[in-house]
Amino acid sequence: MSSATILRAVLSQPSGAIGVTLVVGHVLLAVLSPLVLPHDPVAQSAELILQAPSLSHPFGTDRLGRDILSRTMLGGREAMLIATLATLVAMVWGATVGLFLALIGGRTDAYAMRIVDALSSIPGILIVMIFVAALGVGVTALIPILGFSYGLSVVYIARAAALDFVARDFVLAAQARGEARATILIREILPNVRDSLAVQGAMQWSWLLLGIASLSFLGLGVAPPAPDWGLMIADGRGVMQTAPWAVLWPMAMLSSLIVGVNLAADAFSKALGVDRQMGVRAA
Amino acid sequence: MTITQRLLAGVMICLIGSPVMAEKLLLRANDLSFGGAESLDPLSPNRFYEVNDLIYSRLVRQDDAGQPSPELATSWTSNADATEWTLTLQTGVTFHDGSAFDAADVAYSLGRIEDPALESPVSAVLGFIDRVEVVDPLTVKIVLEAPHAGLPILLLDYRVRMIPDGAGPTIQENPIGTGPFKVESFDAEGTTRLVVNETYWEGRPLLDAIQFTAIPDSEARNQAMLAGQLDLNTITRDQMALYADNPAFQVQSFPSGGWFGIVFRTDTPPFDNPAVRRALRIAVDRQAMMTLMVGETGGTVGCDTPVRVDDPFRAMRDCPQDIEGAKALLAEAGYPDGIDIELVTSDVEPGMVRFAEVYQAQVAPAGIRVSLKVAPADGYWDDVWMTAPASVTSWGERPADQILNEAWRTGSSWNESYYANSVYDQTLDQARATLDPAAAKSLYVEAQEILFQDGGTFIPYQEDGRQVLSARVRGIAPVGEDHVRWHLVDLAE
Repeated sequence: MSSATILRAVLSQPSGAIGVTLVVGHVLLAVLSPLVLPHDPVAQSAELILQAPSLSHPFGTDRLGRDILSRTMLGGREAMLIATLATLVAMVWGATVGLFLALIGGRTDAYAMRIVDALSSIPGILIVMIFVAALGVGVTALIPILGFSYGLSVVYIARAAALDFVARDFVLAAQARGEARATILIREILPNVRDSLAVQGAMQWSWLLLGIASLSFLGLGVAPPAPDWGLMIADGRGVMQTAPWAVLWPMAMLSSLIVGVNLAADAFSKALGVDRQMGVRAA
Repeated sequence: MTITQRLLAGVMICLIGSPVMAEKLLLRANDLSFGGAESLDPLSPNRFYEVNDLIYSRLVRQDDAGQPSPELATSWTSNADATEWTLTLQTGVTFHDGSAFDAADVAYSLGRIEDPALESPVSAVLGFIDRVEVVDPLTVKIVLEAPHAGLPILLLDYRVRMIPDGAGPTIQENPIGTGPFKVESFDAEGTTRLVVNETYWEGRPLLDAIQFTAIPDSEARNQAMLAGQLDLNTITRDQMALYADNPAFQVQSFPSGGWFGIVFRTDTPPFDNPAVRRALRIAVDRQAMMTLMVGETGGTVGCDTPVRVDDPFRAMRDCPQDIEGAKALLAEAGYPDGIDIELVTSDVEPGMVRFAEVYQAQVAPAGIRVSLKVAPADGYWDDVWMTAPASVTSWGERPADQILNEAWRTGSSWNESYYANSVYDQTLDQARATLDPAAAKSLYVEAQEILFQDGGTFIPYQEDGRQVLSARVRGIAPVGEDHVRWHLVDLAE
């Protein structure tokens, strides 16, 4: 299937069209917003503290009189960047390990998977929090940590997807030809599991976005005063009853992005014939 | 109807008909800022003061004007040069275990202030007590190493509380005091429950019990208050609107000497350079900072003085924002292109994170680039404060002599900026030994001037106290925590 055919198949589904529009809109906003900001997102003003939405500040202002529209526009940039890089880390290590284990099989596979089982039993966000709280690492160091912790689930998906193919004739033939494992992996197996991994990657991205927003909400992610949805929600929740706009906009933006990614990933998996639950090509 | 049914019916009627008194339980929260290491030893650096205030008594307490008034000591007199103070004690006071309170308990409780094993922050405040003599069971004589006319004011310290003679080593497990409430169960990380001391010497307290629940996050405490799960909580100025015009709550604000500040450790580069730490303090428009944080009239601007506004020994001076001066000082210190610093803060108290954000914005024009790090609220005072090179701090109001000694005297255990200046220490020694109030004032002011010129602590303003009570609470006036007469606090039916 060509990319254009897939995209058409995705957009022909209403949920796919909505999902893709939301994601593309968010990405465009993240890229272009610095050019069209109505106000300085970190400028504080005692006169403007917790102003309700108005013409000059359509989303209202926060507890330090900062413009919420400007902050909301920028609020996903850092999280999206970290999530993207961490997703790459998660996919590369998770897929490599998962595919190799499927190909090697036997005791190595069994032992290695038990280690992955053990690590997976610890909630991902907890692993990250332990690193952040104990080592006091900054936001850049979050990328490999998040990538490692979220990559554990990729190991399962990649391994399960590859297992479907390791016993097939074309893989056995390659092994008989004496090809190296890495070659078999790249030439024979990867093309067959690529779609499953792509859908999984999209899902990882949305989970990571939520994870990073949670960390920022807890004060362990993006540092203030950076405009960040998680931080904005954390700061605004103390006055939620009298100034709901301080939390409403960042919440709406974060939710719409996550919902958009999920809808788009669903539509893509349908278009590609990937079963998201199993992570393998439907028979 | 069978006999059993009749009996059951009778029991039911008795149960419904009898006047069952509901327990008067006041609900509070503790901030878990020592991460579970909260201590029931009133002198401990980790003192669980909200509980200790309720279970132990002081010798003197504040009257309505904030001046010393009798608590366990009924009167006090000094000799002419204020080196010996004689205190007469209240009769008929018993500890929670039924034993009588007397002069030996006072001698013991004051004597352990200087116990080096305790590392009590009070030792910097009252370490000049040479000895405490038991004159008779109801009279003690406190002999000082040097004259001090303000001893009764220092005895107002919220940590100077009376425990039984010899009880120090076991006070954590067996917290026996003479206060209006007794500890029934203690779990700093969970729930701590205090019950009424039926034999309290001022009469039975009006409440039956007080319960503390650990809620580390200040915003979560606010939500718990809004949801009716607490009867008392401190709030920020912008949270007052949440409670205004709501008959379920009473909002109080009152003048107080409490302050947030930023501590730069004077023993750690680059803050060991006096020019750097001065630049970090003078680059701020303090009035603008206060207006953003607590409103134009929500406090009083000061120049790094920790002394409360109505204290006779407070230093009055102006310190307008001086961006150019700060730049010049930084250049002189070897930072001609500005300086990068990391500042740690936390949501342990409402507004502490925003305080750091406002500071960051204020000093940016001077080339001071502050990166903020938000540490977990849980354990902030244990893990971050006095450890990080630069961190946000918070202090409740204290008399001049107490705070100036406690937080800046060389070697004091709460000397958070690790300040060490023998001239400063000597100035305080002289101030203490000066009986003429005007002369003493000029020495205390001189000490505050040293802090402004050379110190490592940025204190932009003293802010008013703000608290919210549930509508059913009676007997808590708009005053600070240690002014409250807890035995008179009640809950409406």
